[in-house]
Amino acid sequence: MSKGLHRFTVFVTAATFLLIIAGANVTSHDAGLATNDWPLSNGQVFPEMQGNLFWEHGHRLIAASVGILVILLNIWLWRSEKRSWMRRLGLVALGAVVAQGLLGGLTVKLMLPLVVSAAHATLAQLVFCTMVSLSVFTMPGWSEPRATVEEKGSVSLRYLCIAAAVMILIQLVLGATLRHSATWDQHLPTSLLLSHLGGALLVTLLLGATIITTLRRHAREIYLTRPAQIAAALLVGQLFLGLAAYSTRQASPNGPQPLSPMVAITVAHVACGALVFAVTIVLALRAFRVLRSSHETSRSYQRLSAEPS
Amino acid sequence: MLKKRARFWLAMSLTLSLLAFSYACGGKKDDTGTGADNTGGGGDTSSKAQEWTPKGDEGSITGKISFTGTAPAPQKIDTAQDANCAAKNPNLMTETVVAKGDKLQNVIVYIKDGTLADGKKLSDYSFKTPDTEVTLDQNGCHYVPHVIVMQANQKLKVINSDQTNHNIHALPKSGGGNDEWNQSQGPGAAPIMETFKRPEIVPIKCNQHPWMKAYAGVFKHPFFAVSKDDGSYEIKGVPPGKYTVVAWQEKGPTESKPMEVTVTKGAATADFTFDASAMAAITGSNSSLEVVPAIELPMLGNH
Repeated sequence: MSKGLHRFTVFVTAATFLLIIAGANVTSHDAGLATNDWPLSNGQVFPEMQGNLFWEHGHRLIAASVGILVILLNIWLWRSEKRSWMRRLGLVALGAVVAQGLLGGLTVKLMLPLVVSAAHATLAQLVFCTMVSLSVFTMPGWSEPRATVEEKGSVSLRYLCIAAAVMILIQLVLGATLRHSATWDQHLPTSLLLSHLGGALLVTLLLGATIITTLRRHAREIYLTRPAQIAAALLVGQLFLGLAAYSTRQASPNGPQPLSPMVAITVAHVACGALVFAVTIVLALRAFRVLRSSHETSRSYQRLSAEPS
Repeated sequence: MLKKRARFWLAMSLTLSLLAFSYACGGKKDDTGTGADNTGGGGDTSSKAQEWTPKGDEGSITGKISFTGTAPAPQKIDTAQDANCAAKNPNLMTETVVAKGDKLQNVIVYIKDGTLADGKKLSDYSFKTPDTEVTLDQNGCHYVPHVIVMQANQKLKVINSDQTNHNIHALPKSGGGNDEWNQSQGPGAAPIMETFKRPEIVPIKCNQHPWMKAYAGVFKHPFFAVSKDDGSYEIKGVPPGKYTVVAWQEKGPTESKPMEVTVTKGAATADFTFDASAMAAITGSNSSLEVVPAIELPMLGNH
């Protein structure tokens, strides 16, 4: 497996993360409709980046760059990647990026309807998740055999990881919907806010259980404990950022414009949410790679024993 | 077994995602706090009601808008993100609450409903749309004036006197009958002409310069006014009758406590008082300016 391909994939993943940050800035600055046309801004490819157009058009330029990078990545995958499912995954990423661009255009042309804006923000996280997966799969040695570890305990860590990842995705959908329900100078809808808080509690419980299970059962498997530790740190940070984002937002509506602390902390909350999702995906992929239940282990052993020597 | 479990989780996640999404999308986007269709009878302005014509016996409603307590001090707006704004208007201040002494500017006062001397309801009449345009200027990276009033279907002319791009984004209440629109307007561009079909107080903003906000009070009839810097207002040409008059301020509740006013030929008076005492302490509220029970002064003129 090519180290160059892996590095390039990681680079594209980092660019996708930057795109999420740029998109979060557009929402927090209420810049989504700074121009009424799309894909050009005020009829220009490179307009004067005045006011909030800096955020909106900057987001479009970064998105276009990510689109080009994903196309290049696909070319690379189709030229050098032997695993056909990887090539297909690359195409999925490309399709998602194209769909994401179209959703971005649609939300501008339709003047930010909640469903389209929330879908745009959610798909962004899924694109990032796909890119993170591609980065994991292109790691040198990923396809090579690796010693498996037997699952311990009654609850499978692999399924805990999936449950945590799914809950995080739901929480990301709720967060995206909450953010797009009200601009900085409006009240957040209470029902959505409570849903997002409930989601935070469930994510904390599920991801916390996943992290603790990983650290307790597989303390010597740094391959698993490392992402679990990072997830723990990010989760704590994310909870604090969530509280801070809410507090600063509460102070913001009386400000003359979106205030820098509110914007910075809310954007950090979005970015950290993406990282929590990403590291949980990494942990899940690694867990599925190395962990086997005792049932599966014995079946493999039986199969190996049955093979003629 | 593995496949079964995988299927279970897949179905579970899909179901939960769909549930969350459908729930989330059920929320209302509109939260302008201005209240729509409360501006003088509402209803379809193109109805075939009898058209009202002045008979020469009209009077007026005048008054003052005051407030009690301490009004929040205007805040300086950071316009650094657009050099054109910073250069042209370096000391731009917020206009959310504009007060002079204890008098309040930019309050819309209008007749909500009422009965004319002929016994017909105000809402039974239709009113001719004025041929004149109402102009909203983007000048110094703020809207001039901050509050405009107009009749439904009257032309709104938006001009850009700045050397920067603006976008004019009207945000009527969803489903209220007025279309949301957003148009970019560069320096020296031709005026934008728009109309609002239905009575409503429509927030207008610029997404390029998020501090820029204005409000357009749209009414079925011509009986409205905006308070001046001394808090005074005058609604002219009101036919004799008994009316419910209300006041609206952008930080206040949807509308003030209604005041009953009887108009005959001459001037009737209706003063409104807003309570600003809670404003400084309240954060994040679009309804921090409370209207205390209105004070109705004795009618002046012929009544």
